[in-house]
Amino acid sequence: MARISLKIVGASGQGINSIGAIIAKGLKRSGYCVFGYREYPSLIKGGHASYQLDVSDERICSTETKVDVLVALNHHGLELNMEELKQGGIVLHVTPGWQFPKHHQKLIAERSLRVVNFPVDDMLNRLGAGAILSNVLLSGFVWSMLDQDIDALKSLVGTKFAKKKALLELNMRCLDEGYSFVDPAGGMIHVALPAPNKGFASDLLITGGQAMGLGAVHAGVRLYAGYPMTPSSPLLSFIAELENKTHMVVKQAEDEITAAQIVSGAMYMGTRALTATSGVGFDLMSETLSLNAMIENPTVFVLAQRPGPATGLPTWTAQGGLLQAANCSAGEFSRCVIAVSNSQDAFDLMPVAFDLAEQYQISVILLTEKQIAEALYTQHPYDLEKAKIERGRLVVDPEKLKALKSSDRFDPHAEGGVSLRWLPGSEAATYCAQGDEHNSMGAVDECAFNTKLQMEKRLRKLQTLKAGLPAPLLRIGSRDAKTIDWIDEDDEIELLAIGWGSTGDVFQDVMCSNELRGRKIAYLHYTFVWPLRTQELRRLAMRSKRIVLVEQNYQGQLGMLIRMECGLDIRDKILKYDGRPFFYDELLSSVMERCANTSEGEENPGFDHAGTSS
Amino acid sequence: MNIALQTRPPALSDYYSKNKCIWCDGCGNYGIWTAVKYALVELNLRPWQVCLCYDVGCNGNGSDKIEGYRFHGLHGRVIPFAAGAKLANMNIPVIAFAGDGGTFSEGIGHLVHGLRSNYPITFVLHNNANYGLTTGQASSLTWQDQPMNTSPNGIPEHTLDSMDFIFSLKPTFVARGFSGDIKLMTRIFKAAIQHRGFAFVDILQACPSYNHFATHEYLLDRYFDANAAGHDPSNLQQGKALATQVRNGIACGILYQCEDIPDFYHRLIPRKGVETTCVEEVRKYDVSEYWTELV
Repeated sequence: MARISLKIVGASGQGINSIGAIIAKGLKRSGYCVFGYREYPSLIKGGHASYQLDVSDERICSTETKVDVLVALNHHGLELNMEELKQGGIVLHVTPGWQFPKHHQKLIAERSLRVVNFPVDDMLNRLGAGAILSNVLLSGFVWSMLDQDIDALKSLVGTKFAKKKALLELNMRCLDEGYSFVDPAGGMIHVALPAPNKGFASDLLITGGQAMGLGAVHAGVRLYAGYPMTPSSPLLSFIAELENKTHMVVKQAEDEITAAQIVSGAMYMGTRALTATSGVGFDLMSETLSLNAMIENPTVFVLAQRPGPATGLPTWTAQGGLLQAANCSAGEFSRCVIAVSNSQDAFDLMPVAFDLAEQYQISVILLTEKQIAEALYTQHPYDLEKAKIERGRLVVDPEKLKALKSSDRFDPHAEGGVSLRWLPGSEAATYCAQGDEHNSMGAVDECAFNTKLQMEKRLRKLQTLKAGLPAPLLRIGSRDAKTIDWIDEDDEIELLAIGWGSTGDVFQDVMCSNELRGRKIAYLHYTFVWPLRTQELRRLAMRSKRIVLVEQNYQGQLGMLIRMECGLDIRDKILKYDGRPFFYDELLSSVMERCANTSEGEENPGFDHAGTSS
Repeated sequence: MNIALQTRPPALSDYYSKNKCIWCDGCGNYGIWTAVKYALVELNLRPWQVCLCYDVGCNGNGSDKIEGYRFHGLHGRVIPFAAGAKLANMNIPVIAFAGDGGTFSEGIGHLVHGLRSNYPITFVLHNNANYGLTTGQASSLTWQDQPMNTSPNGIPEHTLDSMDFIFSLKPTFVARGFSGDIKLMTRIFKAAIQHRGFAFVDILQACPSYNHFATHEYLLDRYFDANAAGHDPSNLQQGKALATQVRNGIACGILYQCEDIPDFYHRLIPRKGVETTCVEEVRKYDVSEYWTELV
């Protein structure tokens, strides 16, 4: 697979994102799959930030550590990012008279790097343009390097300034000027892209946060309450930006506790409401999570992960919140934890989460990651047909409402533990959504018999829920396989990898690499992470020469849940906990290392059962 | 004789619950509980037409002693839950009940923002100046030198001047009642439920088990109906003065009300002209128009 990577670096606030976004959109419209990845420190101005675009004519959704083109908007980029260039790479910078230190001169020679100094200040002076337009000049030049049609870029920039004629003209002149720049030191310069694939032209360029926001609107969410915390804030901003079109109620709450309570009140009343937060914000919401369990109030919480503990690394990524989502609680109760993987299921899983919440009258925690929330995906327009709005045992029919008794609400004998639910304002017998242990109508009841019965009612849901959840997705080589179809073939699996969240897409790219094409590698991807289905995994594990767990946390948290649920102890782990996502080339080499070793008679992973030592 | 539900007006008996009250003898909650039922009936509201939200505390033990769609939640959190419920369905009157412990300690942030947001809900403070259900610890409203459970020497912190605090938050409705006067409370509750924004109702409540300072008799001797005495609730300064100066008698009734300020919901630009409630709007939405800019 041909892939090109282009990285723009500079200080936060210098316009890295605007160059990245415009080039990304332009390339996507020309028929390329673009995957955008941002790194930035937790501050508004200054610091060192980057926007990397990985580009291909085939679907890619990962970032490489090495780049073909480095665009440095200041000299810090020249100091910090030179090592990342590939053989034959291009360095485009704007620092006049920059003297590379010795070791970089050596690097330039060894890797045959082409260094271009783009005289941005001279050009701005000549055009009488302000510093803000340096991004437009640079975009023009990068566009010419990529050998793309200038009119495509002009029409993109043009729509932004359609109503400001003077600005529009100046922007167009900057684009022309940048586009026609020829490096006096080395002449024309071209980055070879593969032939475009027009299929991508009509795709969306979307972040996971935006995808989730669209999914929420699609799912019928009518109230959103949130408290700003990266990386959940982009969702709040996106929902708020749309509020005049969607007519949703949007509330920036005074804290996460409030956001969770407002959403719970709104769900109790019968609308669909959503909140999102990250690590310590979710800690604050956890008391409300257990409240909703007790009153059997359907709710959906988005937990956008970043590295902790505490404030941790606010603008970086992690998968450290799985155990938090699956286990934080006062007491025991049923819940569902779903992990999104990319912009596709960030959208698709939103209605699914609400349906499950309402069908089982439980809380659903939707995990995402900074990497998913803020990465830029080339996304096929969403299928708007497949979502169903399933509201479970909600009674709305007036005749049926009249027949209800208060004791139907928390009837402990209800099938699967899911009793009838009806909404305040319905002309029917009333009940109390009771946070104390209660009887079938919500009256406080502390007797042993009732306590046991209600506890069993609430926990029984977990079994029904688990039985109904989809199997984890199995990918073999570069194709998807229905786990069930494939599970009984007797081929031995060379390497079985298990992961979840953003890891899935990177692993997919790795399996499609030329290096691994045709190898018997299987990847089992978990989306529904609690309750955890393990039957497919157990059968696959028996047939695998080697198993590896791939996660972005220190402990291998999915591995811990797997071991807890079925005794399978996955000892080999590819773990990452440095705030960065898995990079394509990095994961590829970790996988190749294991494939090379498989033939050397690695021990088959063992199941240990309760009582045996590990 | 059977009369169809719709043809007869609601009666007190509609709110009757077969669950036995478990408050102490002489508890102020009996009076508040009774007045709430009177107010709802006199406003022609049936149990299925109201939402009653209870905080944790002795007040919350009333959650299953009355009919209506009810909620009994977590300590200090009732205001945001009630606000969420109301914003989802503006057609249902929502009344939140909480004690002085949860309201002025654990949940004080919610109180501040509830007032500031002017949510269209009624908030009834069961003010017995202590934590009753956890057996008589000092709250922020307990008198400073009063020995209490866990503070045998009295609390070192000074007592929060609750009414001064409330008025600093630019309220739109402030009333004070006394648990011994059901008629007065009924009048206050009716006005509060009909108020367009956040109605703060402070009910001074006897707690015979743990409050041995502001007792039923103490309050009975000092309280008076300020409206009957001629107080005009539209006067902010006078309302605040009456509310905060309690040495020579405790002014009760509707101390301040301003109907000119829109409530939170009616300040939401996206909801202008929307006739339906969020509850009625749950369905699948076509979002393709929102992604055209992303292509």
